[in-house]
Amino acid sequence: MLKGFFHLLKKDFRLMVSGKFFLLALASLLLYSCYINFVYVNLDQDIYPVCLYDPQSKQPLISEYVTKVDTREALETACSDRYSIGFDLSGESPELYMLSSGSDVTDHYRSIWGETVLAGNTDGQARLIGTNNKEMKNRREITAEFLFFELSAVGFLGLASMLFKEKQMGVIRVHGILPVSKSMFILSKLFLLFISDLTFAALLTVLNVGLSHGLAVLPAVLVHAGILSLIMALIGFFCAVRLPNFKQFSLVYLALAVFVTTPVFMAGQIGVAWDWIVYHPMYHLFMAMKSAYFAAPSAGTIYYLISFGAIALLFLLAHRTLTIEITKEG
Amino acid sequence: MKGLKYQLKNIRRDKMCILTFLLPIIAGIAIHLLSGVNLQTVSEASFGILKNDLSQEASLWLKANGNLTQYETPEELYAAINDPSTQIIGVLKTDNGIRTLLSGDELTLNKVIADTLPQAYTGRTEKSPYTRTIIPVSENADGLTSLLIVITLVTAMFMGATFNAMNIIGEKEDGVAFINRILPMTAKSYIIQKITLGFMGSAASALITSLICMQIKPSQLIPFLLLIILSAYISALTGLFIGHLSEGLMTGIVYIKILMILFLAPPILFYLTIPPQSPLFNLSYLLPSSATFYALMDLLNNQPDRLSLNLFILFVHAILWSVTYTLIKNKRPRSRPAATS
Repeated sequence: MLKGFFHLLKKDFRLMVSGKFFLLALASLLLYSCYINFVYVNLDQDIYPVCLYDPQSKQPLISEYVTKVDTREALETACSDRYSIGFDLSGESPELYMLSSGSDVTDHYRSIWGETVLAGNTDGQARLIGTNNKEMKNRREITAEFLFFELSAVGFLGLASMLFKEKQMGVIRVHGILPVSKSMFILSKLFLLFISDLTFAALLTVLNVGLSHGLAVLPAVLVHAGILSLIMALIGFFCAVRLPNFKQFSLVYLALAVFVTTPVFMAGQIGVAWDWIVYHPMYHLFMAMKSAYFAAPSAGTIYYLISFGAIALLFLLAHRTLTIEITKEG
Repeated sequence: MKGLKYQLKNIRRDKMCILTFLLPIIAGIAIHLLSGVNLQTVSEASFGILKNDLSQEASLWLKANGNLTQYETPEELYAAINDPSTQIIGVLKTDNGIRTLLSGDELTLNKVIADTLPQAYTGRTEKSPYTRTIIPVSENADGLTSLLIVITLVTAMFMGATFNAMNIIGEKEDGVAFINRILPMTAKSYIIQKITLGFMGSAASALITSLICMQIKPSQLIPFLLLIILSAYISALTGLFIGHLSEGLMTGIVYIKILMILFLAPPILFYLTIPPQSPLFNLSYLLPSSATFYALMDLLNNQPDRLSLNLFILFVHAILWSVTYTLIKNKRPRSRPAATS
């Protein structure tokens, strides 16, 4: 029994190597790491710039937030981004000039901010109560998102690409008469993907969150990566066995990427609060992953119970589908 | 023309290919149904306060400047401030005003707001010496809904790439590519047929989606159509590139995945976080989808000033990529025999 399993493992591993699976994972790892380290960590949004047109130098105090311009036209051009705030002190009564940002509330704050800057009241300091700085937060956040995306995609796609190749070669038909149980057939694939996903997760974390911080969150991250990997691989297995060819499968994959992961991204990244998002199962998987990266207390027992229940159910479903498919193939 | 008829016949069998073009339309319907939700508040500053802490007047002042959320206990407030996906600034009472709390991981914008808020609050009673001129922007669609609409439309316009790539790779795998080589058909007419196919699909999909979730004024019609035509053309061409470069479905899908991320993520990020004047913003024009994205956003927000620039950039992209494709195509033999692994 065990020997058969090892043979299956060996065969699947070779299939993955020949399907350039590991090469693709490595390429994704490099692409993501470059993006995180060179682009994402530097993303920021500056405070509203204040532009000052003051030909008679009435304004004595110039704070670091103020840019001086020489003409009224330059002031208006500078303000055309709907973000900057302009002050025109050339006339009788000083004027605050800006284009609406589209939100009255933001406009109200912008005008208050502009006046605060000109009054020179900008030396306060808020109390910090968190443990992350912006860069660390960005790193943790985006690594969690990329890992989530990659695991949902690779688990799904990787297994399917293997299975379709086997299907083409007639392996499913042959399996009907081989003395290897169907569970073994599924398990060997799951096991390999599981290991490769965990390796990917560990590398991505250490490369992008840093060695000390990365290792600290790694155990929790690996637990959630494992759960996600198993769920996605089983869904991938089910779809790949059911759907007739890879092309159709890839469209299911596209739908999954667009409709399943996009809302989760929006909720996670922009903080959009949709009430219905709690009914989105992937949202909980994503949030668990994210809190693991932030070393926050993750979801309780119910989350794990449901996750493992789902894995067991999906396994049964995959098993059943495979049985039906083998019967169909004769 | 006859060749095109065969191409159409070819995809008619492949129902999933047709579904590619239906996906954005379904998304458009979903957004249309969702548009009741107000998402404007995302761009506003968020303040978190404690119940029974601040005076009525102070809460009203905060409410005029941002989103206000009230929390029952200090623990809840601290947790909300520390939540990495929010930018909440905690505001508490002091003897003579307010003080602010931050997690420390916020954007510079929110950090500066939090640092200076107590002083701005103290100055609220002084009469402003400035006459305020706030130029309204013409009716602004709800920020995030228009973002969703634009994302869907850009996806729709660039679906032609996915479709063409899948189609060509499928032909390669099924051996149709070899048959095509002995058919009395020139490479040129083959390219034209494929581009037309992807182009029509993208354009139709984008048009239907826009009919569902966008209101286009008559004056915007011509630039909008130009936008669709140029984007759909570039997308169909991109599909040819992917089809040309990938050996199998798996690599093709990876290319498509990377392309979709590249085409969608940077414009969204750049649009949301970087002011249009900065040189970094201009860098994003290296991707054709950025021009489409910004132009659509401007159309939705009724700011047509940059529209012609965006259209011009798309035009340049179209020419550039057409030339590149012709060069690649002429340099290498039409199709190498597929490596069987």
